[in-house]
Amino acid sequence: MLGDSRKAQEVFHATLREAAQRAAHGELPEEPFWLFREARWRCLEATKDDLQPEAVEIDEHDLGVTAASQIERLDPVQLAIWISAAPDPQRSALALFYLDEFDYRDILDLAELKLNELSRLLARGRRQLQAWLDAKFPQPGHA
Amino acid sequence: MRAAISRVDGSADFISQQNFDRAVARVVRLISIPAESAEWFSEKDLVPASRWTWKKMMRNPAVLAISIAVVVIAGVFVFNFLSHLNDFPGSATARKLLGTAASTRPVMLDPVTAEAGTLSDLFFMKHGLEHYDVPAEFADFGTIGCRVFEDDESRRVAQIWIAEKRMQFFLFPAERDSKTGAVLRFPGWRYVHQEGWTGSVTEHSGVCFMAAIRGRAKDLETYIAMPKQ
Repeated sequence: MLGDSRKAQEVFHATLREAAQRAAHGELPEEPFWLFREARWRCLEATKDDLQPEAVEIDEHDLGVTAASQIERLDPVQLAIWISAAPDPQRSALALFYLDEFDYRDILDLAELKLNELSRLLARGRRQLQAWLDAKFPQPGHA
Repeated sequence: MRAAISRVDGSADFISQQNFDRAVARVVRLISIPAESAEWFSEKDLVPASRWTWKKMMRNPAVLAISIAVVVIAGVFVFNFLSHLNDFPGSATARKLLGTAASTRPVMLDPVTAEAGTLSDLFFMKHGLEHYDVPAEFADFGTIGCRVFEDDESRRVAQIWIAEKRMQFFLFPAERDSKTGAVLRFPGWRYVHQEGWTGSVTEHSGVCFMAAIRGRAKDLETYIAMPKQ
């Protein structure tokens, strides 16, 4: 979500502190995932004043048959930075989806998205990621 | 969503997309968590678990309730065990008759003024009861009434009301072996207690004699220990 471990740590600690204070006052919300929603908003708040991604057209490619092998060559940190550089709500959608901890309904609830929005954001994210992978690890014979 | 998945399920594009997502998720899992944050997910207990102590366990309401229940059940068992420790053949009947003694009023008996020992003939001649003899220890007691009745098992019981200390005597058939019919004998005097009444029982010639008194065994022991004049 942030692409910056220091900021991530600050958000993490601030979120946990908030949770501890609420727990101490017996005010923990009963809704599930409130902690994740809180963390997401803190992430968005933390990046509000940062440089925002330019509203440029990003290349999109169809998913290739060798995509899995391209992804395996990817440095995890680079992927984290790539996801964090996406504009929100696509960033939230990709981060929550690829964390592989939530089902679609949870993600819709957490990111406050509609189903078609989430679907569109993920589909575009995949195609953009494929384009980035193709640029980073060109495949022989691939245009 | 399910309809969409079922529509595309098995298609090459969908399989390709699933493989893509799995591969990305695998790399995402490799993204390192800052060391300081990772500490929060360590398996060490951040707050040490409170020590288990007997005192704490005993204050647990569930444990307390179970303990009380066990003590009560154990108490009932011990009480039953102790109350049947001194059982003897005929003790159940003797206890029932103590209940009868407690509820009997003098008007319920036929007035008879005599020495208790002399009523054996009356029981034999009038009611056909053999060996319904009052033991020597109690034979000299003056009576104010007597009766013969059947108990709930149709056994004939003789009841004598004594003037002294509102004592009552009971004569009833001794318990018999259910197979052989032989009298189940027991030596000397045995005591039974029921609702503040005490009975002293002895058996002779297939008939049990019980002296019943409202009080303790000590009150009867004095008569039994008293040598015959």
